[in-house]
Parts: sequence; C-alpha cells; structure tokens
Amino acid sequence: MTSQVTTELERDPLYVVRSAAFEGPIELLLTLAQRAEVDLKTIAIASLTDDYLRAIDQERPPLDRLAAFLVIGARLVQLKAAGLMPDALGAEAEEDLAAWEEAIKGRLEEYKRFKELADSLMRRHASGRFTFAGLLEPEVIPQARVQVSLDALASAFQQVLDRLPPADQVTFEMEHVSLADKLDHLRQMLAHQPQLNFSAIFHHARTRLEAVVIFLALLELIRIGEARVAQPSAFAEITVHAQERKGDGIESRD
Amino acid sequence: MPRRERGTALNRAIDVRDTTGLAAALEAVLFTLNRPVTILELQDILQSPLPDVEAAAAALAEGLAGRGLFLQRHQDQLQLVTDPAQADVVRRVLRPEYPSRLSPAAYETLAIIAYRQPLTRARIEEIRGVNCEAVLESLEEKGLIEETGRLEAPGSPRLFGTTMKFLQILGLSSLEELPPAPQSGSTSS
Repeated sequence: MTSQVTTELERDPLYVVRSAAFEGPIELLLTLAQRAEVDLKTIAIASLTDDYLRAIDQERPPLDRLAAFLVIGARLVQLKAAGLMPDALGAEAEEDLAAWEEAIKGRLEEYKRFKELADSLMRRHASGRFTFAGLLEPEVIPQARVQVSLDALASAFQQVLDRLPPADQVTFEMEHVSLADKLDHLRQMLAHQPQLNFSAIFHHARTRLEAVVIFLALLELIRIGEARVAQPSAFAEITVHAQERKGDGIESRD
Repeated sequence: MPRRERGTALNRAIDVRDTTGLAAALEAVLFTLNRPVTILELQDILQSPLPDVEAAAAALAEGLAGRGLFLQRHQDQLQLVTDPAQADVVRRVLRPEYPSRLSPAAYETLAIIAYRQPLTRARIEEIRGVNCEAVLESLEEKGLIEETGRLEAPGSPRLFGTTMKFLQILGLSSLEELPPAPQSGSTSS
C-alpha cells in the first residue's frame, strides 16, 4: 500500500518532510496518518510548517501548490488534535468527535469500496478483452494518385542536379552527349524495367550536361507518348512509366 | 372490432420493419463514420426522432449478439467496434496503441470517476486523500477521461468524466455494465 502511494508521488511531491520520526513527501505523511500507520504525536507540526515557510521564502511555489499544502497541513492538525484530545473532552465535544470519527470512517469505507472497484477494473483491463474501432479514419484514406505538374518535374530535376559533384571536381574534357543516344538508352531502360524511379534514370549521369540531355530525352519520350510520369502520393518520389505511344503523358500547362 | 385489431397488428408490423430498417441504416452509418457518434447527430443523419433512434440502437445491439462486431454506448455516444471476445484475433492483425497497464492510482481514480461522474478534482482528492493532479493529467492524456463541463461554483472547476476509450479498454458495452456502484459515501458534508 505504501509503495503504491510513493510511486504516484515520485513525480513531484508538494513538500518533503524531514523530521526524526518521518522522512518523505507530506502527502505520504497524511495518507499514513489517516491509516494510523504513523503516529502524529511524534511529529511536531509547528516545526514542520516553520520549515515549509522557510522553504517558500527561498522559492515561491505556484498558488495551487500553496493551497494544496494548506489543505494537507490543516488535515494533519485536525488528525493530530483528534489524537491528543479525546480524554479531556466534555460530552458535547465528545459527540462532535464521534460524528467526526464517523465521517472519517465513512470516508475510509468509501475509499475502500473504490479500491475494490479499482481492482476489478484492473483485472478486467488485464484480461485484454478490448474492443477496437476500425483502422482507417475517413480523413486519412489516401488520395489515389496525384497529378504531376511540369513544375514538380522541374524541381525534381533540380534535386538531381544538386546531387551531382560540385563544379570544382569536374575535369574539363570535350563531351559528346547526343540526345539520340540518351533517347535510345532511356528506351532500353524502360523496355527492361517498365517502371523506374525518376532519380534512377540519372544514375549514369556523370556531368551536368549529361543529366540535362537525359532530362530532355525524358521530356521528349513524354511528348511523343512513350513514357509518362506519376507520383503515387504527395511528396513521394516521381516514377517514370513506359507507355504505348498514344496520348499525353503529362498535362500541358500552357 | 376485429377490423381495428387487424389495423393495430398491421401498424405494429410496419413499426417492426421500420426499426429493423433503421437499425440497418444505423449500422451502415456507424461503420462508415468509424468514430463515436452522438444520438443527437444520429437523429439528424437518420432523420428520425429520438425514440426511433433508441429503438434502432437496441435492435442493432441485439442483432449483433454473437457476431464479430459490438455496439458500444458511452452516455449519449454510440460506436461500432469489434467484440471483446475477438480481441485476440484483432490484436494479431493490429498493434494497437492501447495503454497496456495503468498504475494502481490510475485505476483508483478511474473507478471514482466512472461511478461518480461528472465530478471535480477536489471531490476525487477528497475520496482518495491525496493530490490527484498528475494522475488526472496522465489519464486525460491517454484519452480515458475528459473534461465534460464546468461546475457552477466559485472558480468554475472542471468536471471530469470517462470516455468511449475507457469502455474500449475494458470491453464494456456501456457504463451500466460496470460492477454495481458503491453506496454514496456517508460523508456528504
């Protein structure tokens, strides 16, 4: 019982009591005192509150924590007073005390009943007999296909260019890159594998010029209807698809 | 006289058929929306008055007995979910992010809220005798409780209640299925 109270309090105790008879969070002290597991007679509440006042002089806690301390402090005083006084009371006060004890007893009984209910909830939860809602929520059903615009294609190409080695590493040599060669090469790639990632068609490009020519070749294949580009979903990699020559592979934006 | 009897019998037959039809419509709506739907919303969606929607819900719950789906009701919300008896097989296909185990303090707080809702944090703390701020925060974060309104009192403190998800982790069809409630505390001061 004690350990479970402590685990709950581990996070952030309101105030840590340090006295000879008790050391620990003040919440724990109250709980144990209510259960008569700690004898409040052995604890000087006045010096406890003095310590607290000194502590809050150094660092002011938020108002709700101050209030919470007051509530707990008042309960402790009430409990302690009840423990100290019973013998010296008159008949009327004794009646009050009896009523008060009755109230405390009722409160403890109520708590005990909830404790039992909590156990039955825990057993039920642990049995794992959950119910589940369906997996897809209407707003997360993905869109079938996203139309690729020429702008998106151009910016994807820019990313390919950005990945090429920087200019200072390029050795100067005469390049012979022909559009016809790249068209043939692209056709071969698509014949071999009818669906390619956009970046894959640039794998062999060693220079900027070569990449530009491959891109031109791709645009040409799209124009004559031998290829088309698609994007399976927003932000996904653009794919290039081989296509029987017919119709436009890309929407004209003119 | 016999004529009139026939008339009422006929009316009742039509009513039964309407309820069955409405129950089917309700099933379809709950399936597609796939979220808790309030009775009020359903009256609007099904274009039917409250008693008809209630009758349809009762008919649907009855019709689902022994099947894989289950009609769950939390206060005025309905949701179509899987039957608790099928939890194992469903778990095999989903890896649901359900809280698997809560702290004893959390079950205690849940129990108090479940039986006494709606209630304030102060009332919960009165019963448990300790500060419950952290526990309430964590239960709210897990979606097991929520603010259901404000108490009309100084400071208008928040009122807490359980949620549909609370029923889901316990596999209950409604709050009425909880074990019998304890007597109200004798300390109602």
